[in-house]
Amino acid sequence: MIRRWFASLYGRMLALSAAATLIALGLAGWTMSGVLERFVIEGLDRRLDSQIAILSGSVDAAGHVDRRWLAERQGALAEGPGWRWRIAGPDGTIGSADFPVLADGPPGPPGPDQGRPRPRDGAAENGVAVHARELVLQTGGGTVRLTAAAPRDVIARPIRGAVAPLLAALAALALVLVTASWAQLRLGLAPLRRLRDEVAAIRAGQRSRVDEDVPSELRGLAEELNALTEANAAALAGARQSAANLAHALKTPVAALAIALRRDPDLAAQVARIDATIRHHLARARVQAADQRASTALAPAVDDLVATVARLHGGRGIAIATRIEPGIAVAVDAHDLDEMIGNLLDNAAKFARQRVAVTAERDAGDARTVRIVVCDDGPGIPAERRTVALEPGQRLDERVEGHGFGLSIVRELAELYGGTLSLGTGDMGGLLAELQLPARPA
Amino acid sequence: MRILLVEDDRDLGPAIARALRDEHFAVDLADNGIDGGHLGETEAFDAAVLDLGLPGKDGVSVLRAWRAADRRLPVLVLTARDGWSDKVSAFKAGADDFLMKPFRVEELVMRLRAMVRRAAGHAQPRLTCGPLAFDTQTGQFELEGLPLKLTAFEWRVLSQLMLRKNAVIERLDLLERVYEGDADVDSNSLEVIVGRLRRKIGATLIETVRGRGYRLAEPR
Repeated sequence: MIRRWFASLYGRMLALSAAATLIALGLAGWTMSGVLERFVIEGLDRRLDSQIAILSGSVDAAGHVDRRWLAERQGALAEGPGWRWRIAGPDGTIGSADFPVLADGPPGPPGPDQGRPRPRDGAAENGVAVHARELVLQTGGGTVRLTAAAPRDVIARPIRGAVAPLLAALAALALVLVTASWAQLRLGLAPLRRLRDEVAAIRAGQRSRVDEDVPSELRGLAEELNALTEANAAALAGARQSAANLAHALKTPVAALAIALRRDPDLAAQVARIDATIRHHLARARVQAADQRASTALAPAVDDLVATVARLHGGRGIAIATRIEPGIAVAVDAHDLDEMIGNLLDNAAKFARQRVAVTAERDAGDARTVRIVVCDDGPGIPAERRTVALEPGQRLDERVEGHGFGLSIVRELAELYGGTLSLGTGDMGGLLAELQLPARPA
Repeated sequence: MRILLVEDDRDLGPAIARALRDEHFAVDLADNGIDGGHLGETEAFDAAVLDLGLPGKDGVSVLRAWRAADRRLPVLVLTARDGWSDKVSAFKAGADDFLMKPFRVEELVMRLRAMVRRAAGHAQPRLTCGPLAFDTQTGQFELEGLPLKLTAFEWRVLSQLMLRKNAVIERLDLLERVYEGDADVDSNSLEVIVGRLRRKIGATLIETVRGRGYRLAEPR
């Protein structure tokens, strides 16, 4: 699962932006709580320093402590539980009985700062950490050390109180940022997804190019894709043309062979097989590429084909009736349309007893579809054999030309253009072939 | 019957010509579109077999030129191109029939005979004139119901007379349709052939129209 996530651009970019967001927010939280701590300590130091100022007020120039004066200000020194003070000088040590053990603080800066309190931290006997300030006075009677201490808890409590909502706010911010980058990715990668869908549509034959109106980063890719598609189409057309040229070039010598060998049935059968193979592959080569931009008017094409088929089957007196809705055009190459309708008409005329009918109209339910129906009064194809008749190469090895091969080519051509060919039984009792092709809007 | 064959393939052209001559046709072979087009415009043929991919001038252009010059000879297009669009364009240019390569010689011969018969205005394949019958599908003549053995020249003359029964056929027209273009024609040979035919089918069926030509007359 995680591997799959990292295998996608989406997953990678999302993971990267989430990680960056979390690191940035962690750093911001750490910095802000550090700044906060400094502020709280500074505030505490001011309070401790003011206590030291009171303490120093009780010390005279000789280093003696005025205890009465001090007792009057006792209230200002008792800030809360755990706050303590001490005066150590020539008169001995007075102050809180349980004054904590203090580590030596950092040495005070020399010179003019001598008269200022220095920080000293330590721990009480019960293990509670304390924060203390100490002022050293040089008096006539000797050194006097004034110390005030408060539990570290006094610092930690407001920080704890401030950091909890801060963390909650930062977490909310992280969520917003990750969501934003998710949305950004979805939106940013949308043109790529569209491009993929268009390439899929090209492969399915539904379009011939991708849209080049894409964000500038993708324009080069879109242009290259179109160039690739065009090169592919050209290569395909070239291959198709070579196959057709090869087949055409072979037909004339095969015709000469057929004449030379016509008195030997075995050799003539071999020539017939060569011919059938050439025809098969030539027809296949033709069913390769659909020109999506093609537009062919239906009525003139059908009229020409009806005239042609009527001549080819002229000796049999087949009547071909046409009813074509005027003005219909189909999105099909003219040659491919000729192949489809020509094959259907030829089959119908071959199997008809007397009559063939062709009708074409826009589909009543869907104006984008044209329905072309060819039916005859011949024997038809039994329902259970119709599917087989549409499969490619069915009659390839059989000598009698039948419905099969032509119909499968028609079906393949129709599907190439997104159309269909279906078989049924018509009003006249024979085969009904219905060709549905995409209409070209007028 | 004299056929114009326009086919550029050096093997196929002569092979078709030989096969048609075996069936008694007179055959003139042109191996390019320019010569073929010119022959079709200037000489008398009963039908033409026209390839589409020709050097010099392509088959469809040759056919259009003939039709534009009001040459109505029936034309069978013989081609390697088997697309329906090719068939449509061949028929629109004025072709009468279409055959794809490769083909069976019997098919080509049958179609040529049918084309020539239809061009002469006969709907039925079997033509008769008194005791004489001509099956245009098999090319066989019968006299009193029995097969009649004819040489190629005799067959060409008699089939012409039969197709245009009761009409006078000019001597020159008949000569043109019996002899191939490069044949060395002796002016008396037509009389010799007609003489032999009269010995085979009886003296009265073929009339000599003095100063003009011959006529196959239905006996009264």
